[in-house]
Amino acid sequence: MTKFLFTTFFLLIVCKNYYAQTDWVRWDAEVIPYKIGDTTDRFKANENRNSGAGIISFLRNTYGFFISDLDGDNCPFYPSCSNFFVQSVAEVGLIKGSLMFSDRFIRDMNLFKSKNHYPIHKSGKYFDPPINYTLVQEKIYYSSPGKVSD
Amino acid sequence: MKKFFSQFYLLLFCNYFFLFLLQTNLFAQSSSNELNLFSPQSRLQFGNSLFNDKDYLRASNEYREYLKYADNDTIRFRFATCFYKIGRFQEAADNFKGLFNNSNLSEESRLGYNQSFFFKYDFQSFRNSVKNEIYFPAKYSSEVNRLFYISFLLDNSVLPDTSAFFPAFPDSNKNEIRQFYFRKKFPEYKNPTTAAILSGLLPGLGKIYVGETTDGLTSLLVTGALAFLAVDNFKHNHNFRGWLFTGLGAFFYAGNVYGSAAAAQNFNAGVKFNFDKDVKLYFEKRNYFLPEIKF
Repeated sequence: MTKFLFTTFFLLIVCKNYYAQTDWVRWDAEVIPYKIGDTTDRFKANENRNSGAGIISFLRNTYGFFISDLDGDNCPFYPSCSNFFVQSVAEVGLIKGSLMFSDRFIRDMNLFKSKNHYPIHKSGKYFDPPINYTLVQEKIYYSSPGKVSD
Repeated sequence: MKKFFSQFYLLLFCNYFFLFLLQTNLFAQSSSNELNLFSPQSRLQFGNSLFNDKDYLRASNEYREYLKYADNDTIRFRFATCFYKIGRFQEAADNFKGLFNNSNLSEESRLGYNQSFFFKYDFQSFRNSVKNEIYFPAKYSSEVNRLFYISFLLDNSVLPDTSAFFPAFPDSNKNEIRQFYFRKKFPEYKNPTTAAILSGLLPGLGKIYVGETTDGLTSLLVTGALAFLAVDNFKHNHNFRGWLFTGLGAFFYAGNVYGSAAAAQNFNAGVKFNFDKDVKLYFEKRNYFLPEIKF
């Protein structure tokens, strides 16, 4: 009985300390991200911007339905060559966009292309947006080769 | 006797128990003795604590409340520093400006004001404020002069003469500064027009000029093969295939000429990017030769 009483008494004292307010534990400074991340795909042009893009978009969808979807996602670039064509035409028009696509197609044929030449997209592909080939210096989005770019 | 002892222990336990309950009440937090957490002094203490913890956004809120009741130059300087640290440079500059006159931290706030414009990358305003005597800190003249010359490395303005540029920096750093100066003055750019003309003369040559050797060789092979196929089909009177390969060859030839100019521009963007990155890393590592202000 005595042991029980003393044990209870001791436990009560200990419990009080356990649940006491501890003001001397300082609050940690929270790391606040002040910048809001960019949630839009800033490289993607509006595919309905001009009629040329509409035509190429239709051809791309047809190619996608009959060939690409069956063949698989094989293009090593992001955006893929077909999407690059559509986005180029939407960005700069049919003639200039076709030249950009032609250049991209040759670069795609290069068997020795590597991450020493292109930044890497988060999908693991070579990042090569059409905005870098419009011949407008100010629009170029440069990212170091081999570096993972968003 | 045994009964007496058991009653005694029970009584003792009850006493201790009630004493314990009373004790907890005695030492409990009581609102009457509570510190007023919203008093200016408490806000100042909390603000200082947040400032030391580098939680500058919340520290600025506490300082703002404190400054409604009291005027203190050090706290106003800290308030401005909070904005400077979190990258709100315009607000920092505005608050530093309020300390220009009749303050012990006048020189430091002039330095802070100039720094705010510099790190905002508003180099035109920065240079204007450096040239303005009212905004120029005499005590930190060499530091601000250095920032003035560094700003020319970071934007597209015409570089000042070497006789004015180099003496602003310490002798131990002169070699690196000299390299940056000449990299900026004579960048190793490739001319997009030259690249396009070279690719016009021989497909792929413009790409090789830009450094994309394998791309250049690929385009030479592709256009060469298509040209051969076109000629061969015309020779054998396969006119449709001849025109088809001619069209494809012309398409890739034109694309290569265009692509060579674009590749030269990308190359130049890379040169500029790497230069800016190297300059920023170099000066950031040395804190832009700025002093650490104790206040």
